[in-house]
Amino acid sequence: MTLARDLSLASAADAAQVLRIDKVSKRFGTFTVLDDCSIDVSEGEIVTLLGSSGCGKTTLLRCIAGFLTPEKGAILIDGRNTIPVPVNRRPVGVVFQSYALFPHLTVEGNVAYGLKMHGVPRREIARRVADALASVSLRGFETRYPSQLSGGQQQRVAIARVLVLEPRVLLLDEPFNALDAKLRGTMQVELRELIKRLGMTAIFVTHDQEEALTLSDRIAVMRGGRIEQVAPPDEIFDRPATAYVADFIGLSNFIPAEVRDGKVTLPDGQTLATEAQGPVRVMIRPHNLRAIPQGPGPWQGQVRFQRNVGPLIEYTITAGQSDMHVVALRRDRIRPWGEGDAVSLEVIDPEFCKVYPEA
Amino acid sequence: MVAIPAPPDRQKPVDWLMDKLLSGQGVWPAVPAILILVIVAVIPFVMLLSLGFSDFSVSRGQIIDQTFSMRHLGNVLTDPLYWTTFQRSMSLALSTTAICLLLGYPVAYLFLIGGRWTRRAILIVTIAPLLTSGIVRTYAWLVILGGRGVLNNALLGMGLIDQPLRIVNTHWAVLIGMVQIHLPVMILPLIAVMSRHDRSLEEASANLGASRMGTLRHVILPLSAPGIGTGAALVFTLSYTTFVVPQLLGGGNYLNAATMIYEQVVYSLEWSKASVMSLLLMASCLVVLVGIALVTNHFTRWTRGRQG
Repeated sequence: MTLARDLSLASAADAAQVLRIDKVSKRFGTFTVLDDCSIDVSEGEIVTLLGSSGCGKTTLLRCIAGFLTPEKGAILIDGRNTIPVPVNRRPVGVVFQSYALFPHLTVEGNVAYGLKMHGVPRREIARRVADALASVSLRGFETRYPSQLSGGQQQRVAIARVLVLEPRVLLLDEPFNALDAKLRGTMQVELRELIKRLGMTAIFVTHDQEEALTLSDRIAVMRGGRIEQVAPPDEIFDRPATAYVADFIGLSNFIPAEVRDGKVTLPDGQTLATEAQGPVRVMIRPHNLRAIPQGPGPWQGQVRFQRNVGPLIEYTITAGQSDMHVVALRRDRIRPWGEGDAVSLEVIDPEFCKVYPEA
Repeated sequence: MVAIPAPPDRQKPVDWLMDKLLSGQGVWPAVPAILILVIVAVIPFVMLLSLGFSDFSVSRGQIIDQTFSMRHLGNVLTDPLYWTTFQRSMSLALSTTAICLLLGYPVAYLFLIGGRWTRRAILIVTIAPLLTSGIVRTYAWLVILGGRGVLNNALLGMGLIDQPLRIVNTHWAVLIGMVQIHLPVMILPLIAVMSRHDRSLEEASANLGASRMGTLRHVILPLSAPGIGTGAALVFTLSYTTFVVPQLLGGGNYLNAATMIYEQVVYSLEWSKASVMSLLLMASCLVVLVGIALVTNHFTRWTRGRQG
């Protein structure tokens, strides 16, 4: 038992990095799009590049695929630098935002295309195409043209088309953008399960944080060509490394404060130990705040706005100069605060707050 | 309450007509164009046909004694001279089309893969000749290809030839002129069709392992089939029925169908033969066009059965 466990641990450690992005920089003219980006991705891992438009996430993806050549840095796949490798020899499969299915080829023709280009024998092509179509549940659609498929089916063809080549790394550029909101959710879960089942290593690019939180083993939050933080979704949410990440992922309250004797005093009087110095900003998540009946507490406010979102109630509470976001679970027995109600605010768990140096 | 004025009982006919023409429903918006076509194309064509299929005599500029006859058609079909003339027209038009495609396709491909300035340069070079008249361009070829023209002077100057080459008034001069004049008509539809497709198709093809050549052959070429069809049909029609280039660069002794029709109308006053020949020219042109359409259709099956 212990031996088996040790072995599995050893193999986990050996699950070497499939993809290593090492200090990659890329400029368009004088504009720096990627600035010293490094990420290591290990076998079977799903990493999302998340950021607002223009943060360089798509550029990084295109560098990995070989459509762009970075000026500095290296991109290693299985330990080999791929920068000098031409696009058509890289062991990566790209699922394009537009899917880029060949309109003049049938579903079967699209999936067989890569195998043909690699000179795979005809009989093997037929078998592998059938397998790939089965893995995305598209049996029976072989003779359809892409224009005869729905958005979701087109996406699955695009995925089957690269899966059939068994690439080392799967690159997906905002693959859910073209789908309607309802389908998006199901496809995200399905796609994650498919990639996990096949044990593929995948890089997603998205600007949608919910998508990133659903899909990823780790999220790399990008901003202005730099990687702000790479961490699993819960860590990104609970312990954002920078104020930008905290602000970008989920809703946050920022409160200016001063560090005294290695401690920050929160507006409700509780204190929080920190290593930061001087003026800081304290980040408090809306669900870490509680609105209680007005008492003697130092943090008084008034409910400005109240909104019911299914099982949650969102409040905007004006406290002093600033508006605080507060989220509470909806419960039968507790009457929600109404607009105009005077309340006191308190932080539920001070340890859960984060302190960032004033920018 | 504001009283809404009752609609007038009867529209004025002019308003009714305008309403129909602008409504965008049925054939109504096309009515003006159809009328003009009937007046300037269909009626004269019927009159021309009537000349070809009848015996008549002319007196004081008036056609009299017109009776139906297939004689002229029979005469033309049994005379080998007409067969060779049509053959010459056909081979000239087909080779012009083929050469235009061979020369034009790389230009369109360059446009597709080129940067902003390459694209601009190609557009300017392609469109600029269209701004000058075909006659002017044909005369320019006389200056270039003539016995003491630019080309011969250059070749003589370089010592490559001892005597001026005889190019003008030959089949080659006509072919060169035809290709140059019709090249833009091939390039423009190719560019239009090729730049319509998503550029990421080429990236996808490369990502799936295709070389540049592979992408060209398996993605770009099949997708440009509609452009090839359109370009070929246009160039063929124009060069099959062209008159100016063979007349000027062929020096009057190069007969193709169009120049022959011209001579029969202007010099030999054989209007009936000219009429029959026009009909044959048009009919044979249509046959080739249908052929081009069928081939193009075969290669663009994927465009059918589109949803939405």
